[in-house]
Amino acid sequence: METYQIYSITSGVLFVIGMGGVFLSKHFIKKIIATIIMGSGVFLAFVSFAERDALSFADPVPQALVITGIVVAVASAAFALALARRIYQLTGEESFTIEK
Amino acid sequence: MSVLIDSLLAILIVYLALQCLLAPRLTQTVFLFFAFGLALALAWVRLGAVDVAITEAAIASGFLGVLFLDALRDFSFITSGKQESSDAANHSVSKKKPAFLSLPGVVLVLGLGLFLLITLEAVWKVPESGGLTAATEALLPESGVENPVTAVLLNFRAYDTWLEMGVILLGLLAVMAVGGIKIFPVHRKTPEDPVLQQVILFFTPILFLFGAFLLYFGKNGPGGAFQAAVLWGAIGILLHLGGRPVLTVIPRWLSQLLLIMGIGFFLMLGFLLLAGGASLFEYPPSYAGVLILIIETLAAISIAVTLVSVFVHLNQLNKEESN
Repeated sequence: METYQIYSITSGVLFVIGMGGVFLSKHFIKKIIATIIMGSGVFLAFVSFAERDALSFADPVPQALVITGIVVAVASAAFALALARRIYQLTGEESFTIEK
Repeated sequence: MSVLIDSLLAILIVYLALQCLLAPRLTQTVFLFFAFGLALALAWVRLGAVDVAITEAAIASGFLGVLFLDALRDFSFITSGKQESSDAANHSVSKKKPAFLSLPGVVLVLGLGLFLLITLEAVWKVPESGGLTAATEALLPESGVENPVTAVLLNFRAYDTWLEMGVILLGLLAVMAVGGIKIFPVHRKTPEDPVLQQVILFFTPILFLFGAFLLYFGKNGPGGAFQAAVLWGAIGILLHLGGRPVLTVIPRWLSQLLLIMGIGFFLMLGFLLLAGGASLFEYPPSYAGVLILIIETLAAISIAVTLVSVFVHLNQLNKEESN
């Protein structure tokens, strides 16, 4: 089994874990972290295919795209965090669920 | 042997991701998130993507983790305790009717399982195309740098990097819009924490030097503008936490100039090249190395200031609430 195959499988598992987390977790911070895990799965898939297509070095185009993607994901997560903290500040809610 | 290491690392990553989402307390979630990011960085080193590994460890694990840690002060330990008790209450209610046997639960779990199979099949069957390695390798001497990833980031696909800097700036503007632009109190009382002051004294020069090294070394090896920017941003965050808020001391026009410097220079360079008859980011090969170094330096300063501003604004959101 090649190195990239192991990480390809891991990327699929990570994506599904993140997706389940987005649906099932309640707290805002957990939902944001779940989206980050989902994104990590996608990035891992990219980089594992870069390793598969390596000649003298691994394919640099997916790597550059992943670096760009990580920074964009962090910027959007920071925005989501600001929204979550603002919601908590204004309403005291920390999740979307309605307590009965 | 290498298969063994990779398998163990993969299992560790999946385990940390699961634990991160299943941990009952928010503090555990955030610290497991740090660990998850670092384990993922190791995986990227195994895949030969050292630039991505540094970016992941610095930005996705380090900077974002710090933002989450800061947010923990809002969603404090008491609220996570409340969540636990409410979870326990839900659990006691669900004893009458188990939640995982309800129709939505079954559908969700089945759907996720099916989705996992589809994802694995799709990932498994990505066609072998050879990628763009050969094209990059052929054009590398004209790019002005020796590290292929830097060449792609700042020369071949400079458009992406330019827009990405715009996205970070947009993120800062969105954070500001949520919290409101604030007039910071300039004379904040310096907290008398001798350990923190020593840490600042010790780490500021080291972080600066290491950032500059990563920035310059990015031409030949792993490293570059983003990695350097996070290290320089860490200086700003440390100083802010130590009661020396840099961004509140310098005048507003200067901080605004620092924020837009990278993206502005990039844009002007692109238009100058357009006026000279080339395409948008087509540097003349003889000057490419110097131009890339200038762009990287300005971009690193801009990104560092942006990251510090994001942290300061999120931190301030917290402070006002507690007052």
